This record gives sequence, C-alpha cells and structure tokens, in this order.
Amino acid sequence: MKNNPYMLWGLVIIAFFSCVALLAPWISPLDPSLIDGQNLLMPPSARHWLGTDGLGRDLLSRMIFGARISLSVGIIAVGISIFLGLILGSLAGFYGKYVDALVMRFADIMLCFPTFFLILAIIAIVEPSIYNIMIVIGLTSWMGPARLIRAEIISLKTREFIQAEHALGASDARIIIRHLIPNAIGPVLVNATLGIAGAILLESSLSFLGLGVQPPIPSWGNILIESKSTLGIAWWITIFPGLAILVTILGFNFIAEGLKKIIG
Amino acid sequence: MANLLEVKNLRVDFHLEGRIIHAVEGVDLRLDKNETVVLAGESGSGKTITALAMTRILPPNAKVVSGEVILEGQNLMSLNEKQLSSIRGAKIAYVFQEPTSYLNPVYTIGEQIVEVMIQHQGLARKEAGIKVYELLRQVQINDPDRVFGSYPHQLSGGMNQRVFIAMSLACKPALLIADEPTTSLDVTIEAQILKLLVELKEKMNFSLLFITHNLAIAKKIAGRIYVMYRGKVVEEGPTARIFDKPEHFHTRELIAAYEKIGKL
Amino acid sequence: MIKYILKRLLGMIPVLIGVTILSFAIINLAPGKFSTLDQAMNPKVSPEYQMRLTKAFNLDKPLPVRYLLWLKNSVSFDFGRSFIDNRRIADKIAERIPVTLGINILSLLFVFLVAIPVGIKAATQAGRAFDTVTTYFAFFLLAVPTFWLALLMMQFFCIQLGWLPISGIHSLDFEYFTPWHKIWDVSWHLILPVFVSSVGGLAVISRYMRSSILEALSQPYIYTARAKGLPYRKVVYKHALRNALLPIVTLVGLSIPGLLGGSVIFESIFALPGLGQLFFQAVMSRDIPLIMAEVVLGAVLTITGNLIADISYAYVDPRIRYK
Repeated sequence: MKNNPYMLWGLVIIAFFSCVALLAPWISPLDPSLIDGQNLLMPPSARHWLGTDGLGRDLLSRMIFGARISLSVGIIAVGISIFLGLILGSLAGFYGKYVDALVMRFADIMLCFPTFFLILAIIAIVEPSIYNIMIVIGLTSWMGPARLIRAEIISLKTREFIQAEHALGASDARIIIRHLIPNAIGPVLVNATLGIAGAILLESSLSFLGLGVQPPIPSWGNILIESKSTLGIAWWITIFPGLAILVTILGFNFIAEGLKKIIG
Repeated sequence: MANLLEVKNLRVDFHLEGRIIHAVEGVDLRLDKNETVVLAGESGSGKTITALAMTRILPPNAKVVSGEVILEGQNLMSLNEKQLSSIRGAKIAYVFQEPTSYLNPVYTIGEQIVEVMIQHQGLARKEAGIKVYELLRQVQINDPDRVFGSYPHQLSGGMNQRVFIAMSLACKPALLIADEPTTSLDVTIEAQILKLLVELKEKMNFSLLFITHNLAIAKKIAGRIYVMYRGKVVEEGPTARIFDKPEHFHTRELIAAYEKIGKL
Repeated sequence: MIKYILKRLLGMIPVLIGVTILSFAIINLAPGKFSTLDQAMNPKVSPEYQMRLTKAFNLDKPLPVRYLLWLKNSVSFDFGRSFIDNRRIADKIAERIPVTLGINILSLLFVFLVAIPVGIKAATQAGRAFDTVTTYFAFFLLAVPTFWLALLMMQFFCIQLGWLPISGIHSLDFEYFTPWHKIWDVSWHLILPVFVSSVGGLAVISRYMRSSILEALSQPYIYTARAKGLPYRKVVYKHALRNALLPIVTLVGLSIPGLLGGSVIFESIFALPGLGQLFFQAVMSRDIPLIMAEVVLGAVLTITGNLIADISYAYVDPRIRYK
C-alpha cells in the first residue's frame, strides 16, 4: 500500500541509517579513534571519503559510529518515555479521581518548564554521559504518551461494549489487550516516531554544547563542536554531520506523516 | 406566463476519493414571477445541491457538468465568477437551514447585513446602517438596536433566522431560495417564520423556491411542488393535484410521512 | 471576562507552587558530584567552600525548611548570589532580559509577518505548486538543527561573503558611535540570530495557518458569504481569516518555552549577552543558585505565556468574550 510516499521515503531513510548503525564495526573503513598526526584536517579524498578532523581521525568512520549513538539514544530515550507514560497514563485512566488528578497535575507542572532548561539543569547536576542523556530525555518526555494512553483508557471505560464485557466477567487484562492496545497504538506510534526525532535533535544539541555524549565517543553533535573553530577552513566537518542529523530527523518526520495518513 | 427562472437539464457531479457521484442528474425546473414553489425530497435527494448549483456556490469537489440556469432570460452558467457575484445576493438570495452556524460568529449582525448592502448598492456605511434598522423592523424584530450590535451566538435560532431573512432581502432580490429554513426551529417559531416569509413575499414581490422534506409546509404555502428523488425530479404538479393523485412512489412516501405527523 | 481572568490567575497558584517544589527537588535531591549536599559533606572540599554552601543553602536546616526559606527569598526576587562572581543573581538576570526579550520579540514579529501570508496562500492554493513547495520547505525547516543552521549561516554570510558580523551584539568600538549608528550596528548584528531563531516558528505557524484557513473555509458561514455575492478575496480575507486567526493568537504565548530553550543555543553560538547564554554559562560552571533561579524563571515565563494565550483567545473570540 505504498501510495504513501512519506511512509516509503521515511522508511528508506531510517532503514539506511539503521543498517549503518547496526553494521558499524563491519562497514567502517577505519578505526574512528585512530589518530593520524600526518593527516590533520584533510578534505575528502579517496582514502578519507569525508575527510579527516583536527586529530586526523577519519570522518566517515566517526560518522558511522555516530549513527549508532544518535539512533540508540533516540530509541532508548523514547522507550523510557513511553514506558513511564504507559504506567502513569494507565494509572490515571484506570483509577481516576485522586490518582488521575495527581498524575495530571504532575504532568502539567512538568510541562511548565522549557524542556531544554530542565534537561540542562539536570545534566548540570549529574554527569553528562550517554546513559544519563537517555534517562534525562526519557524522564522529561513521558507526559505526551501518558496523556494519550489515559485518554484512550477513559474513552474505553465508558464504551458500552466494554461494560458489557465486564459484566460478562472479562478480566481487566483481557480488555486492555484486546481493546486498548489496537486503538491506542496509532497515536502512540506517531508520538514515538516524532519523539525519536526530537530526542536525536536534543542529543545532538546537548553534545554540541559539550553536555551530551562526551568525546572521544563520536556523536554527530560533538563532531560539530570542532566545526566552530574550523569554520571556513574545513567545510566537511560542518556539512556532513549536520546533514546526517537533518536527514535522519526528516526520515522520522516522514514516517510520522505516513503513519498519520494510515490512521486517518 | 412570465418566466422568472428556468433550469434545464442540470447535472452536478461530486468527486469523492477517486469516485464520481452523480448528485444531480438532469433536473428541470421552472419558476414564474411571484410564484411559491416547493422542492421536496428526503435528505440526499440532491435538492440542496440543485439550489446551490444555480449560482455555482458549490463545495470545491463538486462540479456543474452541464445544464442551463436561465434567470430573466440570462443563462447564469455562461457567466464568469465576477459576473455571478453581482447576481448573488442581489437577484438571487438564499436562506439556509441552521441560521446560527450560517452566520459568521466573529462579526455583529449589523455588520453582516450592512456588508451586503454596501456590496451591491454602493451605500455608505451609515446609510446602510439606517436601512438595516428598517429591515430588522420589517422582520418583526422589536429591538433592532440590541440585535444590530449582537453576535449570532447571543441570539436564539428563531431570531437569527429573522436576521438571515432580513439579510437576504436587503437588496430586494427577485428570487429567494430557502433551503429547509425552519427544519431546525421549534414548531411555534416555525409557524411564525413561515407566516413572515409569506407576508414579506406579498409585500416585496419576490418568487420563493422553498426546499423541504415536510409536505405539510408545501400544502400551506406552495402553488406547485417538485418532488426529487436520488438526483432526479420524479414528479411535478400543482399542490392540490399532488396531494390528490400522487403518481410516483416517493411522492406517496412523503405524503404518508406528512399524514403521520399530522397537519401543521 | 474579568471573572475568567481571575479564575485563571487563581488556578495558576497551585501550579506555581508545584513548579517551585519540583525545581527545588531536582536541584537538591539529584545525585551527582555537584549536588550541594555532597559538596558540603565532601572532605576534599575546602572548609570555606563548605561554609559558603552551608550558609547559602541553609544546609544545616531540614529540607522542608530549606525549601520554604528559598521560596520566601525567591518571591522577593532575592535569588542569592552567583557562585562564579558573587554578584546578586537578580542583577545578573535583570541585565540580560532586554537582549533575550528583544531578539525573541523581533523573531516573533518576523515569523508572523512571513508565516501568515504564506499560510493563507498555501491554503487558497491547496494542492497546487505553491502549497506543495511550501509544505516540503516546512518539513525541511522543522528538521534542521538550529545550531547547525547557525554554523552554516556564519560560514556563508560572515566568513565567505563577509556581509554580516560573526558574533556579539555590537561592534568593538560601539561606545564611540552616534546614536543612529548604534541602532544600525545592533540591528546588523541581530539579523542572523533573529533569522536563525525564527526558522522553526516559520514552519510551524505557516502550517498551522494553512490548516486553520482550510478549516474556516469549510464552515457554513462561508456559503453565506459567497451567497451574498461577496468577491472571493473578501470571503477569504474578511470572513475566513478573522476566524482562522483566533487559534493563531494563542500561539504567541505558547511559543515562549520553545523560544527560551532555543535561545540557550543560538545566544551561545552568536555570543549574545542574553538569558540563554547566562543559563549556559551557569550550567557549565555548575553555578547552582543561578541555575535554580533561571529554571524557576523559565517556568514562570512559560506559565505567564500560557495565561496570555488563554486570555488573548478569550478576548478575541466574541463567543467567549460576550458569554
């Protein structure tokens, strides 16, 4: 059913980067941390397809491993946020009243903070590291999924056939599995896809500021740190990592558009 | 035998997700000066589309495929958009079903009526304002001051319909097309509005094309009745004859419905 | 209308309290080697520093008391003193507000000036060339990392073309300029930052405007407008637009958190002395009291933005204003 060009292109892009990320150790031409004093800041050539950085490291290899970092941060961070959102949203939806009020209040309060401010403040206290980034992004993005799940549960609770099933003795778990999940999965998937794009953007921004993935682990964001000081001298350090981030985010946005079209 | 309006072989198609729906299939209508004619049929019979198609105010996915609409000797289908604009509201005016939603919620009643007078009669705002006050009194609104400065949501459905009638008669049209104008109103208000329409018609000498599914109304006010069914005119004739000797089965259905509800 | 405003203001209070509690909790309870408690307990840290921390944060008192003391001070704008230079935090923040405020206002103006007409045109030409092109462009703009765009612009306009200054809010010899020259100098320096910070907004608002106009054009009252014989231009610009703009009005207030977050990045890149750069510096140097103050400030500004959004909508929509 690929009269859905957004979905098609999105999947192509993400499949490409996923393969790159998964097969990184095998397809990377050189060791990303291999320092080569003879070849500092070399433009793209036959040996170094994307050039080298200020320490002579092959940019292509660093970017291939950078794909690993970006994608894994994105996916795990969103995974955490959906996991938390699922729990809190379900509690709020099922038990209603005080639990609902409490959870929703908490979500409202968290939504009052500019996300970036909150994340930076937490990172300032804990050490910046790839794991902390994943956790912090996950901890500050649960509100969206929670609202979706809660809304779905509340709408289900009131539908007649659910009450009928309840009367017939169906257990809560059965109702969840057979009704909640198929209905909620659409919006949650869209939310997740956009969330991954957002998480990747956050990670690159944080790494660029020096508060994300720390060198020497290569991340597209922290490779760009060097571009600040090599502006005008080494265009390849600026162009390629940024382009990679752009295309990846575009890919996830396309998938989200494609999903929206399917859901209707 | 003064023919005001003649519709010949009107065909309108809808384009919906790749399929073509023939909403109006070869409709012929005729209206004389100062006549009251009812266009009857159930929802989906194409009567509203027929009415809208006459001045080509159709939704974007609808198209007039063929046909002639001759108003006072001039074929409206041969006019361009600019020329049609000077006919709409001036020679042919409309009253719609749900007055509150067909009025713009962010402008006052006064502004919306003044606007049509400025458009067609070139009046200055102040002059038009004075005339609007007179118009409001003519539709039996006793506190035109209040109504003039009110917004649609502040007035009742019946009041808004009076306003709408005033607005459509502002430029003294030759033909008033009323599409189910009383269907969404209370029965008592309905009676008042019908009485108002009939009185105004006597006073201002326009022809009335009244669209409804309720034959009780037709019996009360119409000289002739057209019955539409599935995009075609299936029966036509003087009111008395239609009730006395209905020929088409759908006409009989409509009469049966009228008899069940009882007379107005 | 007044009742509505008062109700909203009242509802803000518990949220504000919650915000302060959460801010306090995060900073003071999070584990990490810069947490104040750890530092105070850490034998390797100098006793003077420990004393300073203890005094600054009342660490000798129990947690709830510490919170209340901090809250009391914050409400009277006494945020304590910065760790870096011991200046009053309230002063440091106040002197930075004009820059951030100025840039974001200019950015919003630019966005609305461009995005609204683009959105209208895309809606009236829905499905045609202009619409398709602007849709793809919007996707692109939404996917571009702002910091990367800033770098690219700097590389192109500042270094290669030499047209625009690369950073700072004014030139080095600013003091010697005439008033007119000063205004020109600052504006010239602001072109790039304002443009870069508007990119996301342009995409979002033009899309929003487009769907809002399409929504308005599908309403019954548009048939009425056409049936009255109004020219298409009037139907769109008088009848549809006014309705379509209603939800857009709220976007001004709602875009505040995004603008604040974004300002951290581009103020740092362009070396502009605003709140964002201040926050970044605070984070880098682990200046805890300043971080706390800015986090709370950010939340307060967001809440205010939401309030403004709600009130403007209530004002602009007659159905709410005249209940």
